[in-house]
Amino acid sequence: MKRKGHGFKQSMVKLLGSGKNQDLRIALFCILLSLFAGSLLLLSLGKNPLIAYKSILQGAGFWPKARYAGHKSMLTDFLSLLNYATPMVFASLSVAVALRCGLFNICVPGMMIFSGFLATVLVGYSGLPSFGARFLVIIVGIVGGSFIGSVIGYLKFKFNTNEVVVSIMFNYIISYVVSFFIQTKYIDPTTRQSLKIGDNARLTLVDKVIGNLKIEIPLVLPLAILVVVGLWFLFARSRLGFELKAVGMNRKASRYAGVDVGRTMVISMIISGALAGLAGVSYYLGCYASIQPKVLPSLGFDAIAVALLGNSSPVGCLFASLLVMTISNGTTYMSSTLNVLREIASLITGILLLFSACSAFFKVQANRWAQELEDEYIVNMREAPHE
Amino acid sequence: MQEKDRTLVEFRHITKRFPKIVANDDISLSIRKGEIFALLGENGAGKSTLMSMLFGLYEPDEGEIFLRGKAEHIHSPAEASKLNIGMVHQHFKLVQNQSVTENIILGMEPVKKKLGVLSCVDKKRAQERVRSLSQQYGLDVNPQDIIEDIPVSVRQRVEILKMLYRNAEILIFDEPTAVLTPQEIESLLEVIRSLRDGGKTIILITHKLDEVKEVADRCAILCRGKLVGVYNVKDISTRQMASLMVGYEVSLDVEKARHSFGNVALEVKNLSVFDNDEIKVVDNVSFDVHEGEILAIAGVAGNGQVEVADALAGLLPVRQGTIVFEGKDITSLDIRPRIEMGISYIPEDRQDVGLLLDYNLGNNLALKTYYKPPYCKNGILYENSFTKEGDKLIKQFDIRCSDGCATTVRSMSGGNQQKAIVAREISLGSKLLIFVQPTRGLDIGAIKTIHDRIIELRDQGKAVLLVSLELDEIMELADTIAVMYNGKVQTIKDASTLTANQVGEYMMGVHHEA
Amino acid sequence: MNSIIIDGMAFSLPLFIIAIGGIYSEGSGITNLALEGLLGFGAFTGGLSVALLSPLFPCGSSTTMYIALVVAMLGGMVYSMLHALLCIKFKANQVISGVVLNVLSVALTAFLANQINASFFGKASNKFMLEVSPRIDIPLLSKIPLLGGFFTSVYPFEFIILIVALVMWYILNRTPTGMRIRACGDNPQAVDAAGGNVEGIRFGSVMVSGALAGLGGMCFAYSISTNFSPSIYAGFGYLSIAAMIFGNWRIGPTFFACLLFGFARSGGYFLVTKLGLPSSYSDLVLTLPYVLTLVLLISFSRTNKAPRALGEIYDKGKR
Repeated sequence: MKRKGHGFKQSMVKLLGSGKNQDLRIALFCILLSLFAGSLLLLSLGKNPLIAYKSILQGAGFWPKARYAGHKSMLTDFLSLLNYATPMVFASLSVAVALRCGLFNICVPGMMIFSGFLATVLVGYSGLPSFGARFLVIIVGIVGGSFIGSVIGYLKFKFNTNEVVVSIMFNYIISYVVSFFIQTKYIDPTTRQSLKIGDNARLTLVDKVIGNLKIEIPLVLPLAILVVVGLWFLFARSRLGFELKAVGMNRKASRYAGVDVGRTMVISMIISGALAGLAGVSYYLGCYASIQPKVLPSLGFDAIAVALLGNSSPVGCLFASLLVMTISNGTTYMSSTLNVLREIASLITGILLLFSACSAFFKVQANRWAQELEDEYIVNMREAPHE
Repeated sequence: MQEKDRTLVEFRHITKRFPKIVANDDISLSIRKGEIFALLGENGAGKSTLMSMLFGLYEPDEGEIFLRGKAEHIHSPAEASKLNIGMVHQHFKLVQNQSVTENIILGMEPVKKKLGVLSCVDKKRAQERVRSLSQQYGLDVNPQDIIEDIPVSVRQRVEILKMLYRNAEILIFDEPTAVLTPQEIESLLEVIRSLRDGGKTIILITHKLDEVKEVADRCAILCRGKLVGVYNVKDISTRQMASLMVGYEVSLDVEKARHSFGNVALEVKNLSVFDNDEIKVVDNVSFDVHEGEILAIAGVAGNGQVEVADALAGLLPVRQGTIVFEGKDITSLDIRPRIEMGISYIPEDRQDVGLLLDYNLGNNLALKTYYKPPYCKNGILYENSFTKEGDKLIKQFDIRCSDGCATTVRSMSGGNQQKAIVAREISLGSKLLIFVQPTRGLDIGAIKTIHDRIIELRDQGKAVLLVSLELDEIMELADTIAVMYNGKVQTIKDASTLTANQVGEYMMGVHHEA
Repeated sequence: MNSIIIDGMAFSLPLFIIAIGGIYSEGSGITNLALEGLLGFGAFTGGLSVALLSPLFPCGSSTTMYIALVVAMLGGMVYSMLHALLCIKFKANQVISGVVLNVLSVALTAFLANQINASFFGKASNKFMLEVSPRIDIPLLSKIPLLGGFFTSVYPFEFIILIVALVMWYILNRTPTGMRIRACGDNPQAVDAAGGNVEGIRFGSVMVSGALAGLGGMCFAYSISTNFSPSIYAGFGYLSIAAMIFGNWRIGPTFFACLLFGFARSGGYFLVTKLGLPSSYSDLVLTLPYVLTLVLLISFSRTNKAPRALGEIYDKGKR
């Protein structure tokens, strides 16, 4: 006795049901859905989606363009992509680490500004030799971010405050205080942003001439990769990672096992903060060389959904960040060749983020359908002898 | 007047099945108008299920429910309410930040029109009705109090008033005295009597025999899903009720070798524990467990036994009293030090407490030892050790898993999950092992294995504390039996001096009658 | 002195109406961080209506403003249905849904504003210009010393907000519907047992929050920048959440919280100008509401009570 929609359920369960790589399949499903939605959007504007997507790839450096401006090539585009993706990698890892422990770090934008500002002021205007300067920038980034993280974690531990609300408050407090300091002491009257930092402290080499190309080299990219590997190791192989994951899964059972739940949560916020700090310095002292006051970097919020798309795993975040930044970077080229608004990039990204927010729902629904099919099967087996 | 005319509710051949169990097996009984009818039985006997069908929470698989002579299909509590049936649950459904009156009228709010146009809740009318109902039945409440400010016994009165406000004629009480102090129990029984005097029909689901004796007219006894019989309360003694509930007619005289115990391993003195709602769930409990002894705590669910175990493991804070283990006071010790001192704990909730369901079997088997060598050196975990040790345990305890140590625990059957927990806790080599409901939901084979293990542990000189709701299990394994009722220890005796009946009586709060 | 009151009220009241929306949504149990995106989307739809309709009305008429306020409410309501759908039907995590919808709103409105300007109006712009709102001086009352400021140079929308706020207060605290909304936020099982439709009530509450946030956003657009542009997303949605928390999820105290925040802001600006400090000092003043809310959270963590069932996914099956 089969019910309506049985076939649809079965194929959905096969596609998204539990088993090996369920999370990967669901992530791919979300991406496909958004590409599909994006295609509809493009079609409604009278553009060919395939050409549009290809031009995004071209803009991001995954596919050769027809022509290149002087000193530019596919390589320069690709490196530019990597440059802008680096802060996103750190930011999404920051969110992911907190999520793994069951906490929401919505303070990534604030942490970015805090560490970016500290590094700018302490190192960015100093005349230190570049190796030392850059090294210090990274240290300041880590320390600054972890400080904010530790405060949020401690407040939660001691007063059981809701970390989401505290994070939102911190975002704005940091943003305004930093803006105050920038505007009083470090303002560049023409750009209305903070004074440009010295190239010696900048984490991206800009306009580096190699051969006949002018490229940007993100110096911290290797660090980002190292961090991805390090976090992978943390979660896969270390005792701390074991405890972080356990607390994120089930606080009661973790307590029963003897884990110090409060301390573990604080540690996860500290690590998360450190990563957000790295995002901040690679953004404000890397991709860019100054801070725009009173603007909370949207990258910090986008990182939340990127972490979701990457299923809070280090490698997943890496690829999800690349994907999202590809759309972001590549769309400049697409918009100029196809005469489409630049803003379509953030719209497609927004749709992607919307679907990835639903990814948990897809998983639950697929598992529920699998259970229903199984129950139907059992009932059918039970009823068979009576027929 | 003929007896049949007074029948208000009739259950005819009601059967209700759940995936693994037959909760109600062909039950037929009738309840008369204006009587107080008690439904008695142990845990899992099927009493709550039966009444839940009257209240519309479930529907019977077979059989029919007749109301005032007419067959009714009750699909939801809202429908039950329309048929003038009301139920006071064990866990109240009250809105904490609203007043007594607002809670009572929720869903049936009296409305008046202000200025002819704006509709607003007629608070005055509602409060008057609440006051009159409250006076009529002796349910003393202040209509304006906010729920979170009033004690549990008053909240229960609000739940009762909710039913009366909806003109319930049939009132079902599900274990109403579980959360009350003795004085509050007296007041509640008074209220129940005055409700009956006011023409209401009361159905009382309970296992407290003394209360049944005090207030009920007739009682039905369920045992393992079947109806044992319906009796006039005046004509049956509590001892008889207890033995019918428990299902033993002849006392089992099992000759068990009397063991000699070693030193005292665990001393519990004057232990008092409160739960989240500030109810005293463990009341001045004291007992000792020796090496080489199995002390079993018997009792009906919810009488404080589990809380005792939680407090011993460190999961619940102790309000008063001391816990001394191996001569050391561990009353305020954290959980991990207790584990390291040698206390194992098999908790009641295997899925939400005893295991991390999304971790694999290897991780769960090492859940209490993962931070020590050979599992962990310098903060790094060694997968091989998890697998090696885990495989040993899988083999030793015959844990069925699809993929060895890599199996996700969520996908394992309940029985094998429990085996994994037992395996882990035994492998810790602890001196004291606390088992709470270790064989719940397991098949005969698995039950036997675990029972054998428990005996083995005792023979090895370990101290074993067993908390169980299954009387068979207690009778089979215990050297010493303690019975808890209402948070207190009723008795602690050598198992060979107690029959199952007697234990049952203690469990139901019966003191020996001559 | 007057300017503090005038500017303070012009800021406090839109903030207040958005916060009321938050109270409805969170009062029914649905965490709503999307207020920022909702106010922006409302301002967008309202701004769009002005752009489309203003040619039809004589210059200097304010009818378009009133139409824009209504359209903004509708726009916010429609966008909020996304949040309701995600949280109630799809049982998504409510915090994530809120944040994602904020991000989406910024992207969506930016894209649509640019596209519509380009396609319909042939302009390259991401703004919709609004007409300047008239300001009213209430006769007699505005002459009162000290308090006269409350009746001077008042925006018409301030009256509208006060009336709407009163109505919303009445509904939430005096009608059966409001009682059930508040009950859903504390114990949805109780509402279910009493025969109420928990999902429906929550869905409606979220839509109310969308409508009110849209109204507030449109008012901000008129008072702060006289246009719709991406700068409408200035964090006022989050500020209203802070006010709501400060006001303990009750409309009365939240009103005072909004007044406090608004006057701190206008007072701060006034002080800065008076003392001749560079305008950057006003940024420090802007931190005040957030600092106050943080202090409140920490020191009054016991009395500060969110609705008990806030953020919990309601599963009808659980008994």
